[in-house]
Amino acid sequence: MSTQVHANLTASQVEQISEDLGEPEWLLETRKEALAALDDLDMPDVIRTPGRTWTNLDALDYESLVDPLDYAQDKDRVDAEGVEVLSWSEALDEHEDLVKEHFGTVVDTQRDYLTALSTALFSAGTVVYVPEGVDAEDVKIRTTMNSQSLFNYTLVVAEESSSVTILERQQTGEETDGDRYYSGVVEAVAGENAYVQYGALQNLSEKTYNFSAKRGHADTYATVNWIEGNIGSRLTKSSVETRLLGDSSESQILGAFFGHEDQHFDIASRVWHEAEHTVADLVTRGVLDDEARSVYEGVQDVGREAWDTSSYQRENTLMLSDESEADASPKLIINNHDTEASHSATVGQVDAEDMFYMTSRGVNPEAAKNMLVEGFFVPVLEEVQVDELREDLDQLIYERLRE
Amino acid sequence: MSSDQDHLKETDTEARFEFKKEEKAAFETEKGLTEETVRVISEDKDEPEWMLERRLRALEQFQEMPMPEGWPGAPDLSEVDIDHIVPYIRPDIETRGGADSWEDLPEEIQDTFDKLGIPEAEKNALSGVGAQYESEIVYQNMQERWEEKGVIFCDMDKAVQEHEDLVKEHFMTKCVPPSDNKFAALHGAVWSGGSFVYVPEDTTVEMPVQAYFRMNSEGMGQFEHTLIIAEDNSEVHYIEGCSAPKYSAFNLHSGGVEVFVGEDAHVQYSTVQNWSKNTYNLNTKRAIVEADGTMEWVSGSMGSKATMLYPATILKGPGATDNHITIAFAGEGQDIDTGAKVYHNAPDTKSTIESKSISKDGGRTNYRGLVHISDGAEDSSTSVECDALMFDNESTSDTMPYMEIQESKVDVAHEATVGKIGDEDVFYLQSRGLDDDDAKQMIVAGFIEPITEELPIEYAVELNRLIELEMEGSLG
Repeated sequence: MSTQVHANLTASQVEQISEDLGEPEWLLETRKEALAALDDLDMPDVIRTPGRTWTNLDALDYESLVDPLDYAQDKDRVDAEGVEVLSWSEALDEHEDLVKEHFGTVVDTQRDYLTALSTALFSAGTVVYVPEGVDAEDVKIRTTMNSQSLFNYTLVVAEESSSVTILERQQTGEETDGDRYYSGVVEAVAGENAYVQYGALQNLSEKTYNFSAKRGHADTYATVNWIEGNIGSRLTKSSVETRLLGDSSESQILGAFFGHEDQHFDIASRVWHEAEHTVADLVTRGVLDDEARSVYEGVQDVGREAWDTSSYQRENTLMLSDESEADASPKLIINNHDTEASHSATVGQVDAEDMFYMTSRGVNPEAAKNMLVEGFFVPVLEEVQVDELREDLDQLIYERLRE
Repeated sequence: MSSDQDHLKETDTEARFEFKKEEKAAFETEKGLTEETVRVISEDKDEPEWMLERRLRALEQFQEMPMPEGWPGAPDLSEVDIDHIVPYIRPDIETRGGADSWEDLPEEIQDTFDKLGIPEAEKNALSGVGAQYESEIVYQNMQERWEEKGVIFCDMDKAVQEHEDLVKEHFMTKCVPPSDNKFAALHGAVWSGGSFVYVPEDTTVEMPVQAYFRMNSEGMGQFEHTLIIAEDNSEVHYIEGCSAPKYSAFNLHSGGVEVFVGEDAHVQYSTVQNWSKNTYNLNTKRAIVEADGTMEWVSGSMGSKATMLYPATILKGPGATDNHITIAFAGEGQDIDTGAKVYHNAPDTKSTIESKSISKDGGRTNYRGLVHISDGAEDSSTSVECDALMFDNESTSDTMPYMEIQESKVDVAHEATVGKIGDEDVFYLQSRGLDDDDAKQMIVAGFIEPITEELPIEYAVELNRLIELEMEGSLG
């Protein structure tokens, strides 16, 4: 069973949060049910092999990390024409029915201990509503966490034939004493023929434990694309998922991470093909330095009725240090033969011949290595259609290499 | 359907595996597993005290350990209740440790192996043959020229008596300890029969040695143990075949295989598994490879109701190599969960895993594999390739590889593909005059060719015939 967080977590705190946000009764009830369920819920699944557990979540001391009523943050929301980018209070005021219809339908509010904790305690977040037919430009949400813990909840609803690109950044502001905890849940609903691109760049302080669950539903002809950049945090447990529910729906999940010192990234990309003619492409590239460790799980699940499926997955990890560790498990679960599915994964270091070539041209070894690492990320970066996200990610990689 | 079955009954291969013999045993334990059962088996074999102690310790571990159920996609083992298994049946034979002439065997046992084609193969292509019927080896023979060179190929029970020091040192100690998994512990408690192979330094056994395992009785468990010790710079190829007729009650096969590959030595272990579709096949196979040695696992899993088999190799010495070639074919009602495990524990070690699987008529195949490269195993490389072919949307094809890489100076690659038989390929062959079934059979034969070409010709032919049979079962 799970770690006990109850000593300093009570129903009255949950009521307080709900009241602060001016919530309707049904949402408070959902929170309370999630709180009550904590006792029976397990930590999110982690991969185990004989004698080894790839990520140890049980060692986390939530007691010392979580202060439910302290949720200081700076939020910077940049909206685009025709699209509504709202805080939770605003969204519940103006679009309660819409929120009620979709809240918790994509990410099960009690999926595991950490998700239920997020449901019970979320106090920050954004609702993005893209009405039918609206073709929106970039929406930007920047979250700076100033408190010791922060629970963020994002709901994206893109109606029929709408399109939107969302860029989310998480970082930490004011320094606090001790470890911190950031939890982010994202639900994305893409209606018929809608297009949602959701890019996230996580650069939290390296004292922060980060839990992230992002999941999208794609209706007929819809596209849900994710970009997941992980640079910061002490430990990240992240899953990015799409259910392809409508015929001819598509999803691309791009991932990039760069770990150093004793950072631990546990990252999963998962896609479920549940209708005909669906397409998925999962691409992750990561670099590890010092004692950093990465855990990658990729799942391509093709259902019985998912005729004419195309599903691809690639994962590549570059190890810059002998002390680092790269674990990977790319899984295929195929239940329909009318499928073209493949996955590949590689782990290695900077290519010796490439290094030799560069140094023989007079580039010093350090600069050569940096160029090759930056080049390693290019196949992912060039897929990123949001300029700001691509440039920021590029910049963070550049800085990390030169620390 | 009925005409298909009639047709099947007429084909040779089907008849060769499916016949039943009246059960005739000299000694049979009670169903189920108690300390008493274990003591009775040990006593019937007149074993030394240390072996009884190992059995009893394994029994304790078996009782404490959980079933392998918590894994993602693990086959359903709920039917496997050890209390309904007869763990030990000694067939009615006079020579303990195996006769050295087929004529010395009771007629029905002789007839069984004749039908399986074992004596014929012995004459043509093998250095030695062991044949196990129920829980005991009934026949064991090796060409004299190998005996003269100090090669040992004998029944495992006999090895406990005659090569006690070697067995005591290697038996379920450093390679497969009973604590490895629940069924390894069960095996440690009730093992019986199997082969012991010892190849001295600088010796090459040119033709393969073979053991054939036959389960004839309903509701029995077979737990043979194979121990292969290949000293430095030696070479041997061991082939294992298995089959059983189908009964309504379940049978359990839980073998243990331990292979020690010395420096510069080369061992190939080939299996063509064709257990009946009421058999649970839960094996533990492992090799430890010293410097510059090579281990090769070639496995064809055709039969059984459920198989869980992940031959493991520990690359202990620098420059050691491991190659896995595995093929799984799951038809109606079958769950073949198989793969490979490799631990790179020294520099300059290499491994390759090549897996091919075919699923049809509601069958499930799963490649489950682990590659672990330890810190310090620099300049190691591993390459894993899994290809799966599916026939319909009732079947399932899963791929679940795990990679743990703790060393940066390595080359690690994993690739997997899943797809259906190409319509274009079928069309091409049809336009050349083949009918649909023949075209599909030919494509499947081509799909698994990289594996069949690693087997001696007799076995490649055998494997192809088994696959043809499986294909005809539904396509015909």
